[in-house]
Amino acid sequence: MKLLEVKNLKLYYQSTRGTVKAVDGISLDLAKSEALGIVGESGSGKTSLSLALMRVLPSNIDTNEGKVILDGKDITQLSEEEFRKEIRWNTISMVFQGAMNSLNPVLKVGHQIAEPMLLEKTVNKKEAYKKSEDLLEMVGLPKEIFNRYAHELSGGMKQRVMIASALILNPKLVILDEPTSALDVSIQAQIMNLLKRFKKELDISMIFITHDIALSSDLCDKLAVLYAGEIIEKGTAEQMFGKPKHPYTQLLLASIPGLKQDASPKFIPGAPPDLTSPPTGCRFHARCPYRFDPCDKKPPPAFKIEKDHLSRCWLNEGDKK
Amino acid sequence: MKETRNRMIRLEDVKMYFQSRKGLFKTVEIKAIDGVSVEIDKGKTLALVGESGSGKTTLGRLTLRLLKPTAGHVFFEDLDITDLEEVHLKSFRRRAQAIFQDPYSSIDPFMNVHQIVEEPLIIHRIGKKKERNEMVHKALEDVRLTPTQEFSNKYPHMLSGGQRQRVGIARALILKPEYIVTDEPVSMIDASSRAEILHLMKNLQDKYRITVLYITHDIATAKYFADRIAVMYNGRIVEIGPPEKVVKEPIHPYTIKLLAAVPEPDPSNRFKERGVVEGEPPNPADIQWGCRFESRCQLQKEDNCKSKQPTLVQIKPEHYVACFLKDKDKS
Amino acid sequence: MEERTQNLFKELLSSGSGKVGIAFIIALIIISLGVIIIYPPDFGLKYWSNPVLWADNPRAAPPAWTNLFSSYNQAETVIFETNIPTERIPGVSTTKVLYTFNLNHKADEPPSFISMTVGNIKYNNRPPVLIVNIERPDGNKIELYRLIVPGPLPNEVTPFARFSETPFRIQLSGNHEVVSAVSNFLKQEFDVSISNQDLLLSGVDIAVFGTPQDDGKFDVLMGVYKIQVDAFLYNEDDSIGSVKFVAGGSVHGFMGTDTLGRDLSIGLLFGFPVALFIGLVASSITTVIGTSLGIISGYIGGKTDTSIQRAADIFTNIPLLPILIFLSFIVGPNLFIIILILIIFSWPGLTILIRSMVLQIRSGQLVESSITLGASRLRIMLRHIFPQTAPFVFAQMIFFTPSAILAEAALSFLGLGDPSLPTWGQILEYGFRNGGIYVGYWWWILPPGILIVITAMTFVLIALGMEPIINPRLKRGH
Repeated sequence: MKLLEVKNLKLYYQSTRGTVKAVDGISLDLAKSEALGIVGESGSGKTSLSLALMRVLPSNIDTNEGKVILDGKDITQLSEEEFRKEIRWNTISMVFQGAMNSLNPVLKVGHQIAEPMLLEKTVNKKEAYKKSEDLLEMVGLPKEIFNRYAHELSGGMKQRVMIASALILNPKLVILDEPTSALDVSIQAQIMNLLKRFKKELDISMIFITHDIALSSDLCDKLAVLYAGEIIEKGTAEQMFGKPKHPYTQLLLASIPGLKQDASPKFIPGAPPDLTSPPTGCRFHARCPYRFDPCDKKPPPAFKIEKDHLSRCWLNEGDKK
Repeated sequence: MKETRNRMIRLEDVKMYFQSRKGLFKTVEIKAIDGVSVEIDKGKTLALVGESGSGKTTLGRLTLRLLKPTAGHVFFEDLDITDLEEVHLKSFRRRAQAIFQDPYSSIDPFMNVHQIVEEPLIIHRIGKKKERNEMVHKALEDVRLTPTQEFSNKYPHMLSGGQRQRVGIARALILKPEYIVTDEPVSMIDASSRAEILHLMKNLQDKYRITVLYITHDIATAKYFADRIAVMYNGRIVEIGPPEKVVKEPIHPYTIKLLAAVPEPDPSNRFKERGVVEGEPPNPADIQWGCRFESRCQLQKEDNCKSKQPTLVQIKPEHYVACFLKDKDKS
Repeated sequence: MEERTQNLFKELLSSGSGKVGIAFIIALIIISLGVIIIYPPDFGLKYWSNPVLWADNPRAAPPAWTNLFSSYNQAETVIFETNIPTERIPGVSTTKVLYTFNLNHKADEPPSFISMTVGNIKYNNRPPVLIVNIERPDGNKIELYRLIVPGPLPNEVTPFARFSETPFRIQLSGNHEVVSAVSNFLKQEFDVSISNQDLLLSGVDIAVFGTPQDDGKFDVLMGVYKIQVDAFLYNEDDSIGSVKFVAGGSVHGFMGTDTLGRDLSIGLLFGFPVALFIGLVASSITTVIGTSLGIISGYIGGKTDTSIQRAADIFTNIPLLPILIFLSFIVGPNLFIIILILIIFSWPGLTILIRSMVLQIRSGQLVESSITLGASRLRIMLRHIFPQTAPFVFAQMIFFTPSAILAEAALSFLGLGDPSLPTWGQILEYGFRNGGIYVGYWWWILPPGILIVITAMTFVLIALGMEPIINPRLKRGH
């Protein structure tokens, strides 16, 4: 049975310019111990997606639809109180973008990690602090970091603290939103190694959100590419990196300046569309080098390429390419 | 011996130490740059690659004299700009410009595109209104912000990150500088647009024969756009050479680890852990004897590693390394 | 820049407080402009502080419209003034010039006083004589007063001019000649004996305008009273300039009068432009000084920074009030000194705030890029740093205006203000000093206080309306 099934999730919110269709009908699924990568650039709606899953919603929500089924249970039906008690942080937890800046500067980091556990009220302080220390070790930090303050730690160390903090209640699913974007590439590699280890040892499922498609190959078993609030292609890592079918995915891969290849990296001209007025037809058609007749008129459905491999492009109708 | 006439920038054993207060009475010396000598030839691009704490940004600032070095000399062509006062630097500033990292904060949100790009002309009193307008128009065309009339009147908040960065480039180029420092010019721009900006910069560099210092943490983009790559670690250059050599046949242990950490889009990556540098990046305030990389180096060390600082030694043609363990293999 | 100003107004008008604030400030400006145009420039000294002008007003009288609410009809001030005689009767040796005024008295009380004022009298030989008579509705006639114009002095030449600069006023109600005449009248007509002293104390007006009753009190006699001023001129070329008769009421004007008889509506109106002037001048100069020093201090740093900050520290720690008392003792109370002091003690607060903002801006890439371009320090401060602080500065200026107005009001109230100028604070102070609270002069005490509050509130409302511009996180959804 799948751990997580998201069916047609929609999240629109109000802004001064109109209704922003940040998440516009997203469906995905995830099994146990699996890592799903969500790749999207700025303005694609990836952060809104993670907030929607965690029900950390801004106040100017216009529409919030869709089903989220966790372990067979529809959690969109839960009340706010139920969600808070049963789901948030103890079943699904999150490492936010720039999370290391959200550490409280006047509390010891060890206490901050333990805090959600203490709020549960079923454990005493000693147990909670012990778990906190164990987690610090697990993320590769010495135990005495427990007594340190945020400003005494480097960026990489703070991020590890945030990961430990997300694991305190033994969640089944951890959402990581750009967990390494502010870090040096060496530290990034260290953190990725850490996450790889967790996937194996802790049996945790992960949703890894990033703009760096190459980085997602470091961890993810499945990949979904997000563009303008929609998933335009998804599949296994082998399918996505081996034979990507959607032009956007192909161009994204071609835009990586690789160390091994000699070809100059490509770029995609233009800019992502305004989510208050998405284009008619396929949302990518204005920037697509392969666009043809139906592209600006009808939005393409998700065509099945293979088992688990879907692509939302008119070129894939009957898999012409 | 190279012709000095070909040289745009030369740094001679430059050191940059900052005083930082630790506690009420103690001050700590932070050695941001600890003895760097490097040259950039005219019309060439030198990429300065390093992570946080490497000193690359500080080095870029030194070549623009936004900082005064604690020791050593900075030469711009034949002019020693190390100790000049700000008043005397004005003509230098006309010839040396910068493109900054953050397109959101390096251009004034209260000025429109035309005013932003025109400003250097006003500061250096170039041309009259009509001539300036033409120069602005041409600069905007150069960075492909067309139609220029439409963009001229816009304010920064109406533009995307990539467009803002082009405004920054137009502003830097309008004075037709001979030397440009660009520090992480695309790190705050979407991955799919980065190549576009970098291509644009490369074309303009070729067109106007500009010398470029390209500072970045991303060694992959450095490979495509630089004539030489210098890898910096904790205030010193540890390896310098042509891009293909440095990337495909790295010599310094740090360079090797750095390259291993760069993610390539390969689905088999998730099954293996990367061989990375362990530990934390160095704290430039710590007093260091011997090789800077010694504490994280995993090779078998010799006595010199702990007691002396290695200097750059030529290993292959044009390819230099600062490492006691590697400077034996000369070819 | 155009767009930004447009946005500013749009934002301002979108909020309730902004709308009210703008409406009020437009009203304040219109009233102030009106006052500036209509009032003479030396209003304070020449008019407000000149008791002669107010002599004919009742003292401490409530506003005239209170009559509508009172159960009994109060007397309102009636003024008769003319240059043209009602009748001119030429004669052989004398010319008789008559001035007749008909006063229809409808109130339940007598006038509070009666007075006559003559001005601009010219004669060639013998000085003219004026006789004041009053004919009551019951037919009785009283000769109240006889005025012989002062004769020529030894070295004077014809024509002799009297009362040309300042008209001559006789408070008939308090004149002993009038008192005697009334006392005689009472004895003759009603057989009532009241001594002159008693009559003076109780008021001669009730006797002139009333009928004595058995219980010793007087009933007011309503009806038309004919006041006749007969002037006897002994030469054809002699002339009387102006004749004025006033029957004082117990209510007066739109806002009442103070104990000097000054029409408070005139004084309060004057307060509008003065308040705006004080507020805007003090706040704009303080803002300019505070902002400039803050930017210089924050950007240039070093010794300049230290000295400016120390100066700010000094001024913040000097107690304002004792200095003001001291200065007003030495220099004398003066509106400009007050404004100057307010400025000197207010700039440090702004400087310190602006400096922190500048320190933050300085660490951004904007400053670095400007230096790289070769911009001078002045250019960076003016063109790049200042605009970033501008919204905050503007809001500060708006907020500071009511503080300045309140400060001046407070100072005037404490007696440190400029007494020749009728600012609201001054009017309040004078009212309190004359025991306004205890005696119940509400029309004197309440309006200035209310006006100060309304004016201060106007600026606060505007500042509130402008908040989202200063702090974009407060932006209202539209």
